[in-house]
Amino acid sequence: MTRGARLAEWVALYALSVVVALALASVIVEATGGDWWPVVEALVDGSIMAPGRWGGTLGIAAPLLLVALGTVISSKAGLINIGQEGQLLIGAAVAVYFSFRIGGPGPLNVVVLLLFGALGGAAWASISGLLRYWRGVPEVLSTLLLVFVALQAVGYGLKWQWLLLADEASRGNRNLVSEQLAKDNRIPRPDIFGNEFPITVYVALALALAVAYVLARTVWGFRLRMLGHNPRAAQRAGVSSTVYGASALAIGGAFAGLAGAAMFAGGGFSFGTYRLVPGFSDNIGWTGLLVALLARERALPAVVAAFVFAGLRNGAGFVNSTGVESRITDVVQGLLVLALLVPPAVVFLRDRRRARAAATERV
Amino acid sequence: MTDATIGLAGARGSDPSAPAVELLGITKRFGGIVACDQVDLTLNRGRIHGILGENGAGKSTLMKVLIGLVLPDAGSVRIDGHPRTIHDPLAAAALGIAMVHQHFSLVDELTVWENVALGEAGRLRSSGVRDRVAAISRQYGLEIEPDARVGELTAGLRQRVEIIKCLRRDPHILVFDEPTSVLTPEESEQLFGTLREVVAAEGRAVVLVSHKLDEVLHATDEITIMRQGQVVDYRPTQEADARSLARAMVGREVSLRSERAAFGLVEIEDADGEFAVDSEDTQPTESVVSDEPVLRIEGVSVRGRGGARLLDDITLELRAGEIVGVAGVEGNGQRTLGDLLSSLVSLDAGRVVVKDKEVPTGAPGAMAKAGVAVIPEDRHDSGVVLDMTVAENLLMVDPHRVARHGVMDKARTTETAQQMIQEFDIGCSGPDAPLWSLSGGNQQRVVLARELAAQPDVLVAAQPTRGLDVGAIEYMTDRLRQTAIDGVAVLLISSELEEILELADRIVVMSRGRIVGELSHADANLESLGMLMGGSEA
Repeated sequence: MTRGARLAEWVALYALSVVVALALASVIVEATGGDWWPVVEALVDGSIMAPGRWGGTLGIAAPLLLVALGTVISSKAGLINIGQEGQLLIGAAVAVYFSFRIGGPGPLNVVVLLLFGALGGAAWASISGLLRYWRGVPEVLSTLLLVFVALQAVGYGLKWQWLLLADEASRGNRNLVSEQLAKDNRIPRPDIFGNEFPITVYVALALALAVAYVLARTVWGFRLRMLGHNPRAAQRAGVSSTVYGASALAIGGAFAGLAGAAMFAGGGFSFGTYRLVPGFSDNIGWTGLLVALLARERALPAVVAAFVFAGLRNGAGFVNSTGVESRITDVVQGLLVLALLVPPAVVFLRDRRRARAAATERV
Repeated sequence: MTDATIGLAGARGSDPSAPAVELLGITKRFGGIVACDQVDLTLNRGRIHGILGENGAGKSTLMKVLIGLVLPDAGSVRIDGHPRTIHDPLAAAALGIAMVHQHFSLVDELTVWENVALGEAGRLRSSGVRDRVAAISRQYGLEIEPDARVGELTAGLRQRVEIIKCLRRDPHILVFDEPTSVLTPEESEQLFGTLREVVAAEGRAVVLVSHKLDEVLHATDEITIMRQGQVVDYRPTQEADARSLARAMVGREVSLRSERAAFGLVEIEDADGEFAVDSEDTQPTESVVSDEPVLRIEGVSVRGRGGARLLDDITLELRAGEIVGVAGVEGNGQRTLGDLLSSLVSLDAGRVVVKDKEVPTGAPGAMAKAGVAVIPEDRHDSGVVLDMTVAENLLMVDPHRVARHGVMDKARTTETAQQMIQEFDIGCSGPDAPLWSLSGGNQQRVVLARELAAQPDVLVAAQPTRGLDVGAIEYMTDRLRQTAIDGVAVLLISSELEEILELADRIVVMSRGRIVGELSHADANLESLGMLMGGSEA
């Protein structure tokens, strides 16, 4: 198939499945007494059209993209890391802890904060790496279960002032909140055409390019992919599954942790208070995992996928104001997410069937 | 179940004078490749029809058209004189067409009768199925224990289960796809013996797809030869001989040696004595064998799960320039030996020394680094990465040769791969073609090219010609011999005795993970090797 035909096929598949999802959604909205067109309008307005909205969408897209990039790396090694939500939260917590203790001038503090965020996420994911390669515990289990440990651990940290809890003067009568990040230590949010977003958006974009390059062109990326496709051939060719696999998990965690730190210091949307609170991760880790799946574990398509998911999330705020019940708008959102996941699945299944047919044909 | 249901299948046809199957002008394209080009084929009742051709000649595609796995782009199918369209395997089954596939589709955990009953609709009566399995196996001489667990059976017995599965549906057109690739010589001889009697008596039409000349000469009544998607020759088997068949199949003269190898193990009577081996012809190499061993395997033992002795106190030395053959019935430790030299298993005892340096077995890439190249028994297992490109597969072991500061140079990658593709004549659409798009023979060339490019001191070739056709076997055999002449120590692990007798300077025989005997090339023949393989120590 030519490139153009393939592209046309993708566009057609996406259009079809989005139309089907919208049709289903409109039936549901109408059946529950709402009007479907305002919902669609609100979604589009809320994500990009209304003033200042696309900046907000970009602000959400950045951490989603970072999480997705980490997922791409660990899945290239053939590992199934589904614990990004926890790695992100731990990354944010570690960043908070060190940011307030190290201090230093603004820009330096931001860098330190991001660095520790990445380290925290990497350390958390490395627990799974250790269990996998030392004891043979499947990483799919350990990464998932560590999410719940992470939620509890951060909750615990927020109860104690020597860990994460803010002092009384700062927290007032609230419980379980961290100190607020000082204005100087926040990630800048320059205003562009009436839209503002943290400059970590650029960092995330640059990292997407870097990940794509590293995977496609470097010896390290080549060997990582080899490990993912055929571990025995890789072992024979000198790729240590322990070294490469554990690093892939750690790097995956580092990206999630970096996303957490960037959310904390970047502000905007629901994570805009510059304080760490329980539930801070706000499903960004899970959604980032979906972004990676939608992008079929490739770095550059993840950029687009992250923007689409961020748009859905940002637009949901406007949908809520149409008077349609929020549970129904959740269903609408869920349908749209499903619609985005269907075409890759269809193409994946078809390609695999073709590849198998071709393989049996030629053997 | 009575014999009546197993009985005369041919009676089903409405017009007894029409052939069982006529394929007319069948054409099938896959992308730019024409797999079948205007192929005509007629199958008659009561006859075994051999379809001979190299890998990729279009035999499998043609059979897939017949059993409904592939829809042809053009052409028509007539069954018993009636035009039919076979959309899917169910339609084929309804027309009485069944196929015994090359790869088993059996469930190891289930018993023989349970496997036979799989796919049945309705209530399952174990006694009924058991009786029927017993009746079929009696009638066709396919003895088998209906309650045996399939996972514990030998390859030959599993094949019987597959055949019984097919016969049970009482097909009147039966297709065998390369049935002997997993059988011992005795097993295949027996298979064809019964097949022949039964076919003649019951009027079934049988197709035997093969690339082994000997098998086709031995078992069939008529032969169709395919090359590059076309029928190039048809003749009754009485009028055929191995040499002319080989020529028709490959499209040129091939050396007698490779021909012999392609025949497989079943001996054929040849009045001209064309295939008698004269001693001069089989002197394996002209290489100079050094005195110092390059590879020393010393007292090596490997235990599997549950403590089974996969390798048991193996000691073996290889010198530069010699080819040492490891013979034996499959499953006697050869695979573990190959894995050991691919850094895929660790030792329980003993050591492996390459050029006076002990190699840490099981450490990733240690063997490759020490200079041990491997053509693995199952290339899909540890030899290639199907989802990567040809270029990437060629550079797997040593990507640094095209890299600078850890970054692979695109131009140099392509250029290096292009060179190797040319040198080893790898048939592919280019360095960026995914490996799965290559035929088995070309995938094997990719492995060979990569392993030889590393300029190894030792080359381990495990079953290097398995599943390859005449031309590819000839190529591989020549390459191995040349490699030894170039001063590499070659370890040839093979269950094809002909291949080992032809190539090896020394032959060791493995049985139950042990080396049970060693023979020099001069002392080795089929008989002496067979004795050792059977477990009687010389």
